[in-house]
Amino acid sequence: MRAIATTMKTALIEAWTNRKSFWLQVSFMIANDLAIVVFWLLFFRKVGTVRGWDTGHVLVLFGVLANVTGIAMGILANARRLGQMVADGELDAVLALPVDPLLYLLVRRVDTALLGDLVFGPLIFVASGHVTAESSVVFVVASLCAAAFFVSFLVILGSVTLFIGGRGEQAELGFQALLMLASYPIDLFGGFIKLLLFTAIPAAFVTGLPTRLLTHFDWGEAGIFLGGSLGAVLLARLVFHSGLAHYRSGALWTRA
Amino acid sequence: MSWAVYAVAFRSSARRTVQAPGQLVIRVLFYGVILGVLSALWKVACVVNGGTIAGYDFRSMLWYLVASEGAVIAINPRLIEYIGVDIGSGGIAIEMLRPISVVGLRIATALGEALVRFGFAVSLGVAFAWFTVGPPPDLAAVGLALPAAILAIGANLAAQHSFAAIAFWVNDSKAAWFLYQKLVFLVGGMLLPLELFPPLLAHISRFLPFWTMSYVPARLLSGHFEPWLLLVQAAWLVALMAGAAVVFGIGQRKLEAVGG
Repeated sequence: MRAIATTMKTALIEAWTNRKSFWLQVSFMIANDLAIVVFWLLFFRKVGTVRGWDTGHVLVLFGVLANVTGIAMGILANARRLGQMVADGELDAVLALPVDPLLYLLVRRVDTALLGDLVFGPLIFVASGHVTAESSVVFVVASLCAAAFFVSFLVILGSVTLFIGGRGEQAELGFQALLMLASYPIDLFGGFIKLLLFTAIPAAFVTGLPTRLLTHFDWGEAGIFLGGSLGAVLLARLVFHSGLAHYRSGALWTRA
Repeated sequence: MSWAVYAVAFRSSARRTVQAPGQLVIRVLFYGVILGVLSALWKVACVVNGGTIAGYDFRSMLWYLVASEGAVIAINPRLIEYIGVDIGSGGIAIEMLRPISVVGLRIATALGEALVRFGFAVSLGVAFAWFTVGPPPDLAAVGLALPAAILAIGANLAAQHSFAAIAFWVNDSKAAWFLYQKLVFLVGGMLLPLELFPPLLAHISRFLPFWTMSYVPARLLSGHFEPWLLLVQAAWLVALMAGAAVVFGIGQRKLEAVGG
């Protein structure tokens, strides 16, 4: 674990080295996030409440989503690139190291721009008007669990490349679909699509359930959410490690 | 001579896009997901507002989305980032050796790719909208929407190249594409028509180029026969192409590349 912690620290230092670029990218990302919030403000201004959702609820949703993307795409930036790395044979050097290959790959690279989301998430949560001491704790724990779902989903899809080959296209499509569906109130959807959001594309666990816990907390749902996130992580590890047996070397020993 | 080179670049890029069906299918499927999500949102919104919002009923709104999303999804979403990487890494120096405009050739190449994607995506969109709400509200306006979509894609590509040229100065335009993308999403009218904006924001949006990249073809396809919109688009396209050429010209003169 020490090696993993050091790798993560190195990746963060690497991102922090060019201060000017760091702050520029973080600022751009916050501006980017604000644009989406403006969309919802305009929407609710014109439309009013939709199936119980108003501006406050959507701000909570985006607070969670920003934290999730900050963790899953900022701190663990390689999660999204796993399939492509497999296709390019970039696992060779990693497999030779005395560390857990999946953990190492995930913490190896930080995407500076996405770190802006980790600033924006808490700010927008405060702006939502749903902040109390208890909800702040729930916000942090729910964001971590939601990030676990998000990263696990990306790892599973990326690992599929180990079994079927290709360049990880399925991971990119899954990523885009998950992010898109997680950006909208879950109650907009019904029937088959809602079922999909709780299973194949787990957007319900990325923003739907966390937002519900933050607005109407329930111990039973919280327990299911926590257990589910743990299960998702274990499943992702299982799929990745099973897939490694099928990995074919790209003879690239210099990209650890 | 140079027009022939641009035409070849356009054709080769279009052919390459068709020959890489994996990426194409992913973009088209993603477009389908977006349409599904947004149609669910606007369907509920129209119902709770008594059928129409700012003059758009669900039928016209869905056709609006087919064009607004289609014109944007056609373009590689990370184009600005990729151009920035080529500039930042100095890779663009090789392109500067050719006796032809770097930015012109890049836009011709990107246009070939974008129009193929647009064709496939909108085919899916038209099928989806037709099946869900029936034909477009005004067939005459549909005839204007197609050239408007091509102008929209051209204007978007030219603006993206201007935006990406920031990499000549800051060596990293990665974050710039996030911001640019959101300007198109919002003040470009991709997510919602300008008629839903507060008056001041709607007014400002009409002074910016972004509304020509998404709103205009969408407004036409949603049943509004307004031919003057194409003239505005054409004027912005010329201005944006000239802007991209100037910014790239200045940037290329200050580029310092080592090795290669």
